[in-house]
Amino acid sequence: MRITKLKKDNLFPFLEIISEEADLWVPVKKEDKHVFKVVDDFSEIEMNSTRTILPPRKIFLPPNFNMFSVSEKGYKEDFSHVTKKILFGVHPCDIHGLIILDNFNKQAYLDSYYLEARKNTLILGLSCWPDEYCFAKSSNTHVIEEGYDLFFTNLEDFFLVWIGSSQGDDLIRLKPELFDEELKNKDIQTYINWQAERNNAYKWNINFAALPDLMELKYKDPLWERLGDACLACGSCSNVCPTCNCYNIMDKQCLGGKDGKIMRHWDACTLKEYSEVAGGENFREKRADRLKLWYTHKLQAYISKYGKPSCVGCGRCIATCPVDINVRTVGKALIGEEVDAFWARINKEVTK
Amino acid sequence: MKKISVDHLARVEGSGGISVTIDGKVVTDVKFSIFEGPRLVERLTLGKTPEEDVNIVPRICAICSISHKYAAIRAMENALSVKVPSKVVQFRELMHLGEMIESHSLHLYYLALPDYVGFPNAIAMASEYELEVKIALEMKGFGNHIMKTASGRYIHGENPVIGGFGKFPSKEELIWIKNRAIQFMPFVLKTTELFCKLDYPDTPEDDTIYACCNPGQKKYGFAGDEIILSTGEIIEKEDYKNLTNEFLVSHSYAKRSRYKGEPYSVGSLARINNLGERLKGKAGKMYKKYFNHRWEKNPLFNNAAQAIEILYAFERIPKIIDKMLKLPDPPIVKYTKKEGKGTGIVEAPRGLLIHSYEVSDGFVSFTDIITPTAQNAEDIERYCCIAAQKLLNSGEEDKIRDRMELVVRAFDPCISCSAHMAEVKKAPEEDWKTKLDKIMKEGSPIFIGVGNRNRSDDGAGIELALELRKHGIKDILLESEINEREAPWKNRNYRPLVFLDAVDFREKPGKVTLVPIHYIFSNSALSHRLLPFISDEMNYERLKNSFVLGVQPKSIIEGKKISRPVRQALTRVLELIVN
Amino acid sequence: MEKDKNGKLKIGIYELTGCAGDALLILDCEKELVSIFKAANIQSFLMAKSDNIDGELDVALVEGSVTTEKEKEELLDIRKRAKVVVGIGTCACFGGIQAVFLDKKEWEKNFKKVYGDIKMKHVKPVQSKPINAYIEVDYYLPGCPIGKEQFLSTFNRIIRGNPPELYGFPVCVECKWNENDCLLNKDIPCLGPVTRAGCGSICINHNLPCVGCWGPVEDANLTSEFKLLREKGFDYDFIKKKMATFSGTGMADFLGKLEGEKK
Repeated sequence: MRITKLKKDNLFPFLEIISEEADLWVPVKKEDKHVFKVVDDFSEIEMNSTRTILPPRKIFLPPNFNMFSVSEKGYKEDFSHVTKKILFGVHPCDIHGLIILDNFNKQAYLDSYYLEARKNTLILGLSCWPDEYCFAKSSNTHVIEEGYDLFFTNLEDFFLVWIGSSQGDDLIRLKPELFDEELKNKDIQTYINWQAERNNAYKWNINFAALPDLMELKYKDPLWERLGDACLACGSCSNVCPTCNCYNIMDKQCLGGKDGKIMRHWDACTLKEYSEVAGGENFREKRADRLKLWYTHKLQAYISKYGKPSCVGCGRCIATCPVDINVRTVGKALIGEEVDAFWARINKEVTK
Repeated sequence: MKKISVDHLARVEGSGGISVTIDGKVVTDVKFSIFEGPRLVERLTLGKTPEEDVNIVPRICAICSISHKYAAIRAMENALSVKVPSKVVQFRELMHLGEMIESHSLHLYYLALPDYVGFPNAIAMASEYELEVKIALEMKGFGNHIMKTASGRYIHGENPVIGGFGKFPSKEELIWIKNRAIQFMPFVLKTTELFCKLDYPDTPEDDTIYACCNPGQKKYGFAGDEIILSTGEIIEKEDYKNLTNEFLVSHSYAKRSRYKGEPYSVGSLARINNLGERLKGKAGKMYKKYFNHRWEKNPLFNNAAQAIEILYAFERIPKIIDKMLKLPDPPIVKYTKKEGKGTGIVEAPRGLLIHSYEVSDGFVSFTDIITPTAQNAEDIERYCCIAAQKLLNSGEEDKIRDRMELVVRAFDPCISCSAHMAEVKKAPEEDWKTKLDKIMKEGSPIFIGVGNRNRSDDGAGIELALELRKHGIKDILLESEINEREAPWKNRNYRPLVFLDAVDFREKPGKVTLVPIHYIFSNSALSHRLLPFISDEMNYERLKNSFVLGVQPKSIIEGKKISRPVRQALTRVLELIVN
Repeated sequence: MEKDKNGKLKIGIYELTGCAGDALLILDCEKELVSIFKAANIQSFLMAKSDNIDGELDVALVEGSVTTEKEKEELLDIRKRAKVVVGIGTCACFGGIQAVFLDKKEWEKNFKKVYGDIKMKHVKPVQSKPINAYIEVDYYLPGCPIGKEQFLSTFNRIIRGNPPELYGFPVCVECKWNENDCLLNKDIPCLGPVTRAGCGSICINHNLPCVGCWGPVEDANLTSEFKLLREKGFDYDFIKKKMATFSGTGMADFLGKLEGEKK
């Protein structure tokens, strides 16, 4: 693996050049949060962004897209969401999320909608700084060694740029004079200091290793009912999670000789309809049961199978759930710690 | 005019609309009924926050939803002393123009035009006027697009709020709208010509009072802070009750309005009549080219007026957008006031819309909403009465139903209650008996004899009054006994008044007809002596409780006695009253 | 369902009491309107045409709530004539804004305040109720008004004899798809979690809280939403009224039970 250096002044010229090759998606501000977007003006790019509201998977599988069009003549697959893209500014945890999705979608049933889009997208990672919600260090997803084409570590007045693939290298070769192969000792020391400081910046952690057993032991704990009482069943935890990938399909037949569409949209096991089967039976009618499934998947089943959680510590569920049901509070409750969360207070008297 | 075909009318019976009752050659009853059930919308808003009120009230009517929202916001901003920046004012005007374009083109092409070219609906009309229908739909869609941009969706969007907008459109979006507005111009001009040149029947025609918002000195527009009348009078928005004087009728859940006892009209035609001189540009040219005195008294010209307003809107949009493009997007203006009273008036596509509120301790404590169709209801009935009577007089009874539909539709009432419902009823034989019986049962009427005993049948009313007195019936007055100051219609107890008179209905001599007194004024063919008696002193409470029991004279000859058939009729009336 | 001689289903679109927004929305499908009329035999649609016929129907789309005796009869008649009845719009599905006075006495009191003692000659008023208070309803298409996409795809399915396929989840799902920041987390009273999706989370896209106009979602956790808003400092009555505004009978049980609780 090659590491090179890019002066900060050279970033926009570099982005300018590569954006001619493909649509460049970058993190920008939306109100006081961030989202990935294609912009004309690079000054909109948020170099110090926190987690985006939706994880980068929205770029590979949009929340609601047409899988194929149908007409009397037959059907035609629609891959219009697959275009050449470069995704800049992806944090290590999100790259880990994509690796989990890659594995999942490459299993027995190949999801060509995901894989085609993934094949056509280059990942340009960017280092980040943890905020109060981040816990990627607990899942060891705060650093990344694979799954990117280039990775930019944001240091003082330059970036250290890891080249992770030949396509990444090709990008650099578009204008190599922007980069500086010669790393000075001073630069390396800056990086070492930055890394140590960053490791210390994680404010809290969670012991993932203990959780599979605790999930098992507390499978019938009243905790789940309490969570179920508070859960709004809004599906937001799943929608914002970088490793969730469930979907539903609806057909939209069209009038006037236009083709019908088979729409695929993000679904979530925390939503009631998801577990409904033919005949109207529902195996997980209760919110508590659905939450249990979600957490079993994130904290137990995946760890048992792959030795790591399918949680990448991005903190999106913490930032999103209005009733504070998230990996942090649920994890703490499983360990038996006191939890300050709306769901823990809900059944207590509310005074006017 | 081409033939108007109205096919089988579904669900006419009782479901609402317009109905006319004809007794021989006389229209004895016209009812414009909105059988829309009671929703108590004003009550629903009480106890809500001003923001929630603004969410709820557009649901009064989908097709005027933007106007309702706009009126409510204006009222609330007055009540809570909120001043909004210029960009908000511009964007509100733009969204309002979107609604005008959408509503006017829906009305003109979907609802009105099929009548004039003889089709049951616009889709059927498309077989012959494919291009017109297609572009008209696009024009309507453009209005919708503006509304969606401004409010968030076609109908009941929530983006316009007290203090501004949740979000403003991008520059690209605004420029797109501007360019599209310019592209439409040739078709808009064609539309204006088409509807200004349509062959509008001259029945009904009669003077009325027109009322609309005054958008300020010398400007045309759809919002303002005062109401201007065709009489030249100006009413401040807070004094709107001086215009509307709402009351209830028993055949509709929509409250009615009259100004100084007279029906008045609101809508495009009112605006063009009151403000048309102020139009500039192409709309101004069209106004000068086509406006004439018939527009002042014929409600069917509302169609032409709407077409001119579409042109006005299309000319106005690029100007507003140019202004908007120069201004930054302001945040929603915050306010701290928790009490206040405020009224907001705007022009809905179909006319003056008034919202008035009181806010106490942060919640709505009083709501009054007056919609244009409710204000037009009285004039709709009056014009239908005039039309029906005139067609009856000219022996074209078969045209009445269609014509009434044409009239109702021209007023462009909220379409769910206007569309395609007209009914012609025949009064049963001797209908006057049932009616008189009812009047006597419900209140003790005062009978007033009118006429001249020296002119044969003209003395019928006097003769009848005297006979009633002889039989000991109380509360009988003669024309000659009434002195100005104590006239019974100045009395506030509102006992029914029944004028007894010979009225030439062009019926068989001796035919008795009982009609509400204001129908006499709508029936230009009638000769009667009632007018000088009542003049404009009668308020509406009085008017709706006053009737004319008319007997068809055989002949009126100086010095002759009452004819046989009339005398027989008098005996029948006498019997009924005495018993 | 049987088709007419041209192979088209017979469809009637009816309006009871409401703002006519759902019927208007159908007319707002400008580009598809001709296709709609071609694809089915639209026997009755008062807002759009004058040559309406009553009679046997395959599908009746009914907008609005029942607010008069007359409408009740009309609705019963529609049910008799139609094989499938679909309630369109929040008024038909839940009673709409006018169904806020669910208590009969409360309604009577308010009715009197507006109309006094007037006796309506032709139509006796009744409390506003959704159509399922009087007839069996096969499908519901909520929305205030219904959505264009939702209507077109439902219409399409119906004319092919398929039941409608709607989102069964709350507004929050679409809101996240649109990548909005949660307003509840900013202490803004948003009804997204308890309101049915389908509108595309328009209000939140415009930085405004959901007002609940599509009516309650099936799995709404009303208690949690209520308590959450209470914890955020909102007044008991304020939340209650807010939830009641568009939900009609949809949240009535829950809000009714609240009466018994202490404030």
